Formats: sequence, structure tokens, C-alpha cells
Amino acid sequence: MQQLKTDFTSREDMAAYIQQEFPFLESPGGLSPYLGGRKAGLARLEEFKIEQYGKERNFLNGEVSRLSPYISRGCLELEEVRQWALQHPLSKSVESFVSELAWRGFFHLVYQEEGTGILADLEPPKVSLGKHQITLPEDIARGETGLPSMDTLIGMLRETGYLHNHARMYLASYVVHFRKVSWRSGADWMYALLIDGDFASNHLSWQWVASTFSNKPYIFNRENLERYGGAVLPGDPRQGDPFDASYEALAERLFGGEYRPEPRRSSGNYQ
Amino acid sequence: MTESLIWVNEDGINPEHKMFRDYPDAPRVYIFDVSYLQQWRISHHRLQFIYESLLEIPHISIYKGETVAVLDSLLQEYNVREVITTATPNHIITGWQDEILKQADLVTYPQIYPVQDSSSPRRFARYWRQSDRFWLTP
Ligand SMILES: Cc1cc2nc3c(=O)[nH]c(=O)nc-3n(C[C@H](O)[C@H](O)[C@H](O)COP(=O)(O)OP(=O)(O)OC[C@H]3O[C@@H](n4cnc5c(N)ncnc54)[C@H](O)[C@@H]3O)c2cc1C
Repeated sequence: MQQLKTDFTSREDMAAYIQQEFPFLESPGGLSPYLGGRKAGLARLEEFKIEQYGKERNFLNGEVSRLSPYISRGCLELEEVRQWALQHPLSKSVESFVSELAWRGFFHLVYQEEGTGILADLEPPKVSLGKHQITLPEDIARGETGLPSMDTLIGMLRETGYLHNHARMYLASYVVHFRKVSWRSGADWMYALLIDGDFASNHLSWQWVASTFSNKPYIFNRENLERYGGAVLPGDPRQGDPFDASYEALAERLFGGEYRPEPRRSSGNYQ
Repeated sequence: MTESLIWVNEDGINPEHKMFRDYPDAPRVYIFDVSYLQQWRISHHRLQFIYESLLEIPHISIYKGETVAVLDSLLQEYNVREVITTATPNHIITGWQDEILKQADLVTYPQIYPVQDSSSPRRFARYWRQSDRFWLTP
């Protein structure tokens, strides 16, 4: 048993000490923009413009709270964030934000019930997943898939320890459905890198994308990626673009008729 | 004489938590569990965030080692038989809590939710239909 230092001159000083004490940790170098602690969480809450949330939350550059590191690590209690939200006049936007907080409550409830059961398929998949690769390909781990959009998301995840919800959905869908990697490998990888890493929200979301905790697989196409991520993501080469197709054509290519999307699909919202 | 030890876990790092007011004299500790960090390949950013958050808790002592073994030594060192902590569904942390219970009493502060459900309806849409009014009431 070894007691660790508690006096540091700067974040950089702490980072160097951590590197020395825990040399096995995955480190991209540099510091995350997310400063730990309740004070920083409260400051972020203050800045969050909840009235814009409803309209913007699906856009990668839209107004979202970015509170998940503080909520997951307990610096801010979910209940106090909910009370803070409900001090605002009730609007679609406030309701939408509170319902996202409720997703966390919902996932925790399932985890409470299932325990380690959430680490394996909770339901039979709605499309074949049995032959999926069980190790995460190196190019994904390194953010060198050759698709600038996905590599940018992986880079953000590694460099900041945070990703927007829609970005997590894109990345999980890419890994599971486009690359045919088991959701569990992807989930473990993302759990490790996220500051807000939480088995309930993370592993159950991966299962939701995979279709082992939902009624259908989650997929996205070029149009959706451009609409919600276009302001943030670089374009991908047009030649051989895996996302450039209608949902019907994509489903046919990825699932060979096991799943047929309804003609008009909604945005990246959970359902 | 102190009678209790506050053990902070990674899902409850809040310097304003009630347990610190309820047990003002209890030593406060956190343990970075090396096996957990290695097995789950936890990133530097997560660890640094936790570390920065911990430093807002006055008089916190931070250790590196195996959680249960370190807690056992601390129980002896401080001569206490009661551990105070916060609830989390995290199976790794609840596994440690179960081990600690063999050596000491455990007081676990619950997480607060607007609805106290006993079972989940398995789809969020259903859950929300059943409980939106609780979530949307201050
Ligand atoms: C593949 C995948 C993995 C994920 N892994 C995690 C994880 O490890 N930890 C984690 O906290 N969230 C996880 N989420 C849920 C969600 O993406 C994040 O909570 C959210 O993006 C955090 O950003 P924010 O704080 O700006 O959210 P906001 O949109 O501002 O929402 C406010 C808060 O509500 C909660 N919340 C919002 N959306 C969700 C959601 N869909 N599920 C559960 N809680 C939600 C979070 O606590 C969040 O901080 C994951 C989602 C996906 C699709």
C-alpha cells in the first residue's frame, strides 16, 4: 500500500506524477479540457444554455451540457442537476434535458437488476452478430481507419475523454455494424477512454446500437452524418464511401434483408 | 477517537456530500485500484479527472494498491470497524463492498432518484411513460 501525493503545482505536474506512478495507463499526451472537481462542474452548469438544448442536442456542434464527467464521477448529483433544470420554466427543451437525465436513471435501474448480465447480450440480436470479430481492430483503436470522419471522432475521444452523444452513436454503429466487431469489444474500449465511463450507460448503449437491447440495429448514413456532424467533421473520400446510401440500401448491404428500415427514419434520437 | 472511515469511490466524488457532514472527524480515503485500472485499461484522462476531483475533499488520503487489502490495513491502522461510503450499481465497486462487509460494518448512502422503482420496463419509452411526471416534478 502506497500513499500518493496531494500537492501539485499544476495540472501538468499532476499529469507527470500520474505517468510515473501508473506507467501502464493509455495516455495521448496533453491534458483533457475537462478539469476535474465539483467547482468545475458547477461552473459548467452555470454556462449551459438549457433553452437551446431541445433544438440543438443532436448536432455535434449544438448546445449540450457536457456534464457527464461530473455526473458520472459523482461531483454533481443527478438529482441536483434535475432540480436545477426544473427551476427553469417548463418547456420542450427543459423536458428534453430531464428526459435525457432519466435515460441515466433507466440504465442504472437495468444494471441494478441485471448486474454483470449487462456485459453480455440481454436479448437475442435482431440481426446476425454471431460472426463478429471479438478483438477491436488496431486501426480503430489508433484512429487510423482511413475514414476522416471516424478518425476525427476517435481522436476526440482519445484526446479529451469525452464525446457528444450522437458521436458515440455513430462510432458504436460504425464499429458494430459497418466493421462487424462485437459490441462488447467496442464497449470495453470506449468505457476505458471515457472520463464519464459508466457500465450502465455505456454497455447498455452499445447493446442498444447492436440490437441486443432494442428492437432494431442503429445505423446512420451520409446524409445524417452531414446534417448533424457536417460542421465538425471533415468529409470522407467519395470513392468507396461506406455511408453513402439510402437506409434501405444500407440495411440490405449490412444485414442482407434481416432488417428492413421503415421508409422514413427519424434523426439520431433514441426511441 | 475516530470510529468510522469514509471510503470514497469513483462514482461519488463530491466534497459536499452529506456523509462528510455526518462524519466530520472520520478519516477520508480513496484507493486507486491497480488491478482494476489495468484490467479495464482505464485512460490517463479518467484517472487525472478523478485525482483532480479528489483534491477538493479536505484532508483526503489517496492510496494506490488493491482496494480490499488497503482498506483492511487502514481499518487496523485507525482501529475502526465501520466504513462509510456511497451507493453505485457498479459491479466492481459493489464486489469490493461485499468483501469489506466481512471485516466491518458498511454504511452506504443511497443515490437519489425521483422515482424509486423496483423493476425496469426494459424500454425507455415505456419507462418514460410510467415515470415522466415524477421526473418532471421538482
Ligand atoms: C455508445 C454510447 C456509449 C455511452 N457511454 C456513456 C458512458 O460511459 N457514460 C455516460 O455517462 N454516458 C454514456 N453515454 C450516454 C450519452 O452519450 C452521454 O451521457 C452524453 O453524451 C454526455 O454528454 P452531455 O453531458 O453533454 O449530455 P447531455 O445531453 O447534456 O445530457 C445531460 C446528462 O444526462 C445524462 N444522459 C444524457 N444522454 C444520456 C444517454 N443517452 N444515456 C444515459 N445518460 C444520458 C448524462 O448524465 C448527461 O450528462 C453513451 C452513449 C452511447 C451512444
